Amino acid sequence: MTAPHLFTCEEVFRRLDDYLDRELSAAEMELVAAHLDTCAVCAQEYRFEGRVLEMIRDKLGKIQAPDRLLQRVRQLLDEERRNPG
Amino acid sequence: MSVAADPFEGLLLPLLGGAYRTALRLTRNPADAEDLVQEAALLASRGFRSFQAGTNFKAWFFRILTNAYFSKYRQERRRGVSVSLEDAPELYLYTQATARGLLGQSDDPVGDLIGNLDSEQIIAAVDSLPEEYRVAATLYFVNDLTYEDIAGSLGIPIGTVRSRLHRGRRMLQRALGQLAQDHGIGQ
Repeated sequence: MTAPHLFTCEEVFRRLDDYLDRELSAAEMELVAAHLDTCAVCAQEYRFEGRVLEMIRDKLGKIQAPDRLLQRVRQLLDEERRNPG
Repeated sequence: MSVAADPFEGLLLPLLGGAYRTALRLTRNPADAEDLVQEAALLASRGFRSFQAGTNFKAWFFRILTNAYFSKYRQERRRGVSVSLEDAPELYLYTQATARGLLGQSDDPVGDLIGNLDSEQIIAAVDSLPEEYRVAATLYFVNDLTYEDIAGSLGIPIGTVRSRLHRGRRMLQRALGQLAQDHGIGQ
Protein backbone atom coordinates (compact mmCIF):
# COMPACT_ATOMS: atom_id res chain seq x y z
CA MET A 1 0.00 0.00 0.00
CA THR A 2 1.49 3.32 -1.03
CA ALA A 3 1.21 6.44 1.08
CA PRO A 4 -1.07 9.13 -0.36
CA HIS A 5 0.79 11.88 -2.16
CA LEU A 6 0.89 15.11 -0.21
CA PHE A 7 1.67 18.42 -1.84
CA THR A 8 4.90 20.20 -1.00
CA CYS A 9 5.06 23.95 -0.38
CA GLU A 10 6.28 24.43 -3.95
CA GLU A 11 3.41 22.39 -5.39
CA VAL A 12 0.94 24.42 -3.36
CA PHE A 13 2.55 27.70 -4.33
CA ARG A 14 2.20 26.84 -8.04
CA ARG A 15 -1.52 26.19 -7.51
CA LEU A 16 -2.31 29.06 -5.18
CA ASP A 17 -4.05 31.29 -7.75
CA ASP A 18 -6.16 28.42 -9.05
CA TYR A 19 -6.99 27.38 -5.50
CA LEU A 20 -8.10 30.90 -4.61
CA ASP A 21 -10.33 30.86 -7.69
CA ARG A 22 -11.60 27.32 -6.98
CA GLU A 23 -10.41 26.29 -10.41
CA LEU A 24 -8.57 23.11 -9.36
CA SER A 25 -9.99 19.61 -9.55
CA ALA A 26 -11.74 18.38 -6.40
CA ALA A 27 -8.79 16.12 -5.61
CA GLU A 28 -6.28 18.96 -5.95
CA MET A 29 -8.48 21.30 -3.92
CA GLU A 30 -8.37 18.75 -1.11
CA LEU A 31 -4.62 18.30 -1.34
CA VAL A 32 -3.99 22.05 -1.20
CA ALA A 33 -6.43 22.45 1.70
CA ALA A 34 -4.72 19.63 3.58
CA HIS A 35 -1.34 21.33 3.11
CA LEU A 36 -2.68 24.70 4.25
CA ASP A 37 -4.02 23.05 7.39
CA THR A 38 -0.54 22.02 8.41
CA CYS A 39 1.78 24.68 6.94
CA ALA A 40 1.59 28.06 8.65
CA VAL A 41 3.76 29.83 6.06
CA CYS A 42 1.70 28.71 3.05
CA ALA A 43 -1.51 29.41 4.98
CA GLN A 44 -0.30 32.95 5.63
CA GLU A 45 0.47 33.47 1.93
CA TYR A 46 -2.95 32.10 1.04
CA ARG A 47 -4.77 34.43 3.44
CA PHE A 48 -2.72 37.39 2.23
CA GLU A 49 -3.36 36.75 -1.47
CA GLY A 50 -7.05 36.14 -0.82
CA ARG A 51 -7.33 39.44 1.02
CA VAL A 52 -5.62 41.27 -1.87
CA LEU A 53 -8.19 39.88 -4.32
CA GLU A 54 -11.04 40.71 -1.95
CA MET A 55 -9.85 44.30 -1.56
CA ILE A 56 -9.48 44.86 -5.31
CA ARG A 57 -12.96 43.39 -5.98
CA ASP A 58 -14.49 45.48 -3.23
CA LYS A 59 -13.03 48.75 -4.49
CA LEU A 60 -13.81 48.09 -8.16
CA GLY A 61 -17.37 47.09 -7.26
CA LYS A 62 -18.15 50.44 -5.67
CA ILE A 63 -18.60 52.17 -9.01
CA GLN A 64 -22.28 52.50 -9.83
CA ALA A 65 -23.86 52.69 -13.25
CA PRO A 66 -25.74 55.95 -13.82
CA ASP A 67 -29.49 55.62 -13.25
CA ARG A 68 -30.19 56.87 -16.75
CA LEU A 69 -28.42 53.87 -18.28
CA LEU A 70 -31.18 51.45 -17.26
CA GLN A 71 -33.80 53.80 -18.67
CA ARG A 72 -31.90 54.23 -21.91
CA VAL A 73 -31.44 50.51 -22.40
CA ARG A 74 -35.12 49.86 -21.73
CA GLN A 75 -36.06 52.60 -24.16
CA LEU A 76 -33.69 51.18 -26.76
CA LEU A 77 -35.15 47.70 -26.39
CA ASP A 78 -38.72 49.06 -26.61
CA GLU A 79 -37.83 50.85 -29.85
CA GLU A 80 -36.19 47.69 -31.17
CA ARG A 81 -39.34 45.68 -30.46
CA ARG A 82 -41.45 48.23 -32.28
CA ASN A 83 -39.04 48.56 -35.21
CA PRO A 84 -36.92 45.37 -35.38
CA GLY A 85 -33.49 45.51 -37.00
CA MET B 1 -35.32 47.31 -9.96
CA SER B 2 -38.71 46.33 -11.28
CA VAL B 3 -39.31 42.88 -12.67
CA ALA B 4 -39.01 42.68 -16.43
CA ALA B 5 -41.90 41.01 -18.25
CA ASP B 6 -39.75 40.20 -21.28
CA PRO B 7 -37.53 37.09 -20.81
CA PHE B 8 -34.57 38.78 -22.48
CA GLU B 9 -34.86 41.86 -20.30
CA GLY B 10 -35.21 39.63 -17.26
CA LEU B 11 -31.80 38.15 -18.02
CA LEU B 12 -30.14 41.34 -19.22
CA LEU B 13 -31.19 44.07 -16.80
CA PRO B 14 -29.60 42.54 -13.67
CA LEU B 15 -26.27 42.49 -15.54
CA LEU B 16 -26.25 46.17 -16.47
CA GLY B 17 -24.35 47.37 -13.38
CA GLY B 18 -21.53 44.90 -13.96
CA ALA B 19 -21.68 45.56 -17.69
CA TYR B 20 -21.19 49.28 -17.08
CA ARG B 21 -18.28 48.73 -14.67
CA THR B 22 -16.69 46.41 -17.22
CA ALA B 23 -17.28 48.82 -20.09
CA LEU B 24 -15.84 51.65 -18.04
CA ARG B 25 -12.64 49.72 -17.42
CA LEU B 26 -12.40 48.79 -21.09
CA THR B 27 -13.10 52.21 -22.59
CA ARG B 28 -11.85 54.32 -19.63
CA ASN B 29 -14.52 56.86 -20.44
CA PRO B 30 -18.01 57.08 -18.84
CA ALA B 31 -19.77 58.29 -22.00
CA ASP B 32 -18.11 55.60 -24.13
CA ALA B 33 -18.95 53.01 -21.47
CA GLU B 34 -22.65 53.90 -21.61
CA ASP B 35 -22.59 53.77 -25.40
CA LEU B 36 -20.86 50.39 -25.32
CA VAL B 37 -23.40 48.90 -22.90
CA GLN B 38 -26.29 50.19 -25.01
CA GLU B 39 -24.74 48.83 -28.19
CA ALA B 40 -24.13 45.43 -26.56
CA ALA B 41 -27.71 45.36 -25.24
CA LEU B 42 -29.06 46.06 -28.72
CA LEU B 43 -26.82 43.45 -30.35
CA ALA B 44 -27.80 40.91 -27.69
CA SER B 45 -31.47 41.67 -28.24
CA ARG B 46 -31.10 41.07 -31.97
CA GLY B 47 -29.11 37.88 -31.43
CA PHE B 48 -31.17 36.49 -28.56
CA ARG B 49 -32.81 33.90 -30.80
CA SER B 50 -29.38 32.28 -31.17
CA PHE B 51 -28.92 32.06 -27.40
CA GLN B 52 -29.43 28.51 -26.19
CA ALA B 53 -31.70 28.37 -23.16
CA GLY B 54 -30.01 26.74 -20.21
CA THR B 55 -26.53 27.93 -21.16
CA ASN B 56 -24.75 30.80 -19.46
CA PHE B 57 -26.42 34.05 -20.47
CA LYS B 58 -23.90 36.14 -18.54
CA ALA B 59 -20.94 34.70 -20.45
CA TRP B 60 -22.90 35.02 -23.72
CA PHE B 61 -23.70 38.67 -23.09
CA PHE B 62 -20.18 39.59 -22.01
CA ARG B 63 -18.84 37.99 -25.15
CA ILE B 64 -21.06 40.35 -27.15
CA LEU B 65 -19.92 43.29 -25.05
CA THR B 66 -16.21 42.52 -25.38
CA ASN B 67 -16.57 41.85 -29.11
CA ALA B 68 -18.33 45.19 -29.50
CA TYR B 69 -15.51 46.84 -27.60
CA PHE B 70 -12.81 45.20 -29.69
CA SER B 71 -14.45 46.06 -32.98
CA LYS B 72 -15.06 49.68 -32.02
CA TYR B 73 -12.19 50.74 -29.80
CA ARG B 74 -9.29 48.39 -30.37
CA GLN B 75 -7.74 50.62 -33.00
CA GLU B 76 -7.29 53.41 -30.51
CA ARG B 77 -3.92 53.62 -28.86
CA ARG B 78 -3.82 53.14 -25.15
CA ARG B 79 -2.93 56.07 -22.96
CA GLY B 80 -1.08 56.08 -19.69
CA VAL B 81 1.88 54.13 -18.45
CA SER B 82 1.83 50.37 -18.66
CA VAL B 83 3.66 48.10 -16.27
CA SER B 84 6.37 45.71 -17.33
CA LEU B 85 5.62 42.00 -17.04
CA GLU B 86 9.29 41.16 -16.73
CA ASP B 87 9.50 43.33 -13.65
CA ALA B 88 6.50 41.80 -11.92
CA PRO B 89 7.64 39.18 -9.41
CA GLU B 90 5.35 36.71 -7.70
CA LEU B 91 3.93 37.65 -4.30
CA TYR B 92 5.02 41.26 -4.77
CA LEU B 93 2.82 42.72 -2.04
CA TYR B 94 3.50 39.81 0.30
CA THR B 95 7.19 40.45 -0.08
CA GLN B 96 6.64 44.14 0.61
CA ALA B 97 4.64 43.32 3.72
CA THR B 98 7.37 40.97 4.89
CA ALA B 99 10.07 43.57 4.30
CA ARG B 100 8.12 46.13 6.35
CA GLY B 101 7.57 43.71 9.19
CA LEU B 102 3.79 43.82 8.80
CA LEU B 103 3.24 40.06 8.78
CA GLY B 104 2.58 38.81 12.26
CA GLN B 105 2.53 42.37 13.58
CA SER B 106 -0.69 43.52 11.97
CA ASP B 107 -4.20 42.01 11.89
CA ASP B 108 -4.61 43.25 8.32
CA PRO B 109 -1.26 43.63 6.54
CA VAL B 110 -2.99 43.97 3.16
CA GLY B 111 -5.12 46.79 4.51
CA ASP B 112 -2.02 48.46 5.92
CA LEU B 113 -0.31 48.22 2.53
CA ILE B 114 -3.03 49.15 0.06
CA GLY B 115 -6.21 49.68 2.08
CA ASN B 116 -5.95 53.44 1.88
CA LEU B 117 -5.83 53.44 -1.90
CA ASP B 118 -9.21 54.63 -3.12
CA SER B 119 -11.26 53.12 -5.93
CA GLU B 120 -9.85 55.58 -8.47
CA GLN B 121 -6.31 54.52 -7.63
CA ILE B 122 -7.20 50.83 -7.89
CA ILE B 123 -8.78 51.63 -11.25
CA ALA B 124 -5.61 53.41 -12.34
CA ALA B 125 -3.63 50.28 -11.51
CA VAL B 126 -6.00 48.07 -13.53
CA ASP B 127 -5.87 50.58 -16.38
CA SER B 128 -2.09 50.35 -16.43
CA LEU B 129 -2.22 46.69 -17.50
CA PRO B 130 -1.62 45.81 -21.15
CA GLU B 131 -4.97 45.42 -22.90
CA GLU B 132 -5.21 41.62 -23.05
CA TYR B 133 -4.50 41.40 -19.32
CA ARG B 134 -6.76 44.34 -18.48
CA VAL B 135 -9.74 42.81 -20.29
CA ALA B 136 -9.35 39.42 -18.60
CA ALA B 137 -8.77 41.03 -15.19
CA THR B 138 -11.84 43.22 -15.60
CA LEU B 139 -14.10 40.27 -16.39
CA TYR B 140 -12.60 38.43 -13.43
CA PHE B 141 -12.64 41.16 -10.79
CA VAL B 142 -15.73 43.08 -11.79
CA ASN B 143 -18.06 40.27 -12.83
CA ASP B 144 -16.79 37.24 -10.92
CA LEU B 145 -16.76 35.18 -14.10
CA THR B 146 -15.12 31.76 -13.96
CA TYR B 147 -12.13 30.96 -16.15
CA GLU B 148 -14.47 29.01 -18.43
CA ASP B 149 -16.88 31.94 -18.70
CA ILE B 150 -14.05 34.38 -19.42
CA ALA B 151 -12.74 32.01 -22.07
CA GLY B 152 -16.24 31.89 -23.57
CA SER B 153 -16.58 35.66 -23.41
CA LEU B 154 -13.26 36.29 -25.13
CA GLY B 155 -13.26 33.29 -27.45
CA ILE B 156 -9.88 32.09 -26.18
CA PRO B 157 -8.74 28.82 -24.52
CA ILE B 158 -9.04 28.43 -20.74
CA GLY B 159 -5.27 28.00 -20.49
CA THR B 160 -4.80 31.43 -22.02
CA VAL B 161 -7.27 32.91 -19.54
CA ARG B 162 -5.40 31.28 -16.67
CA SER B 163 -2.09 32.60 -17.91
CA ARG B 164 -3.42 36.14 -18.44
CA LEU B 165 -5.07 36.24 -15.03
CA HIS B 166 -2.05 34.92 -13.18
CA ARG B 167 0.36 37.25 -14.92
CA GLY B 168 -2.11 40.11 -14.77
CA ARG B 169 -2.36 39.73 -11.00
CA ARG B 170 1.40 39.92 -10.67
CA MET B 171 1.48 43.12 -12.70
CA LEU B 172 -1.46 44.52 -10.78
CA GLN B 173 0.18 43.83 -7.42
CA ARG B 174 3.28 45.62 -8.56
CA ALA B 175 1.27 48.60 -9.81
CA LEU B 176 -0.66 48.76 -6.53
CA GLY B 177 2.52 48.51 -4.50
CA GLN B 178 4.08 51.33 -6.47
CA LEU B 179 0.99 53.50 -6.14
CA ALA B 180 0.92 52.94 -2.40
CA GLN B 181 4.59 53.80 -2.18
CA ASP B 182 4.11 56.95 -4.26
CA HIS B 183 1.36 58.06 -1.89
CA GLY B 184 3.29 57.22 1.25
CA ILE B 185 0.81 54.48 2.21
CA GLY B 186 2.02 51.56 4.28
CA GLN B 187 5.37 53.15 5.05
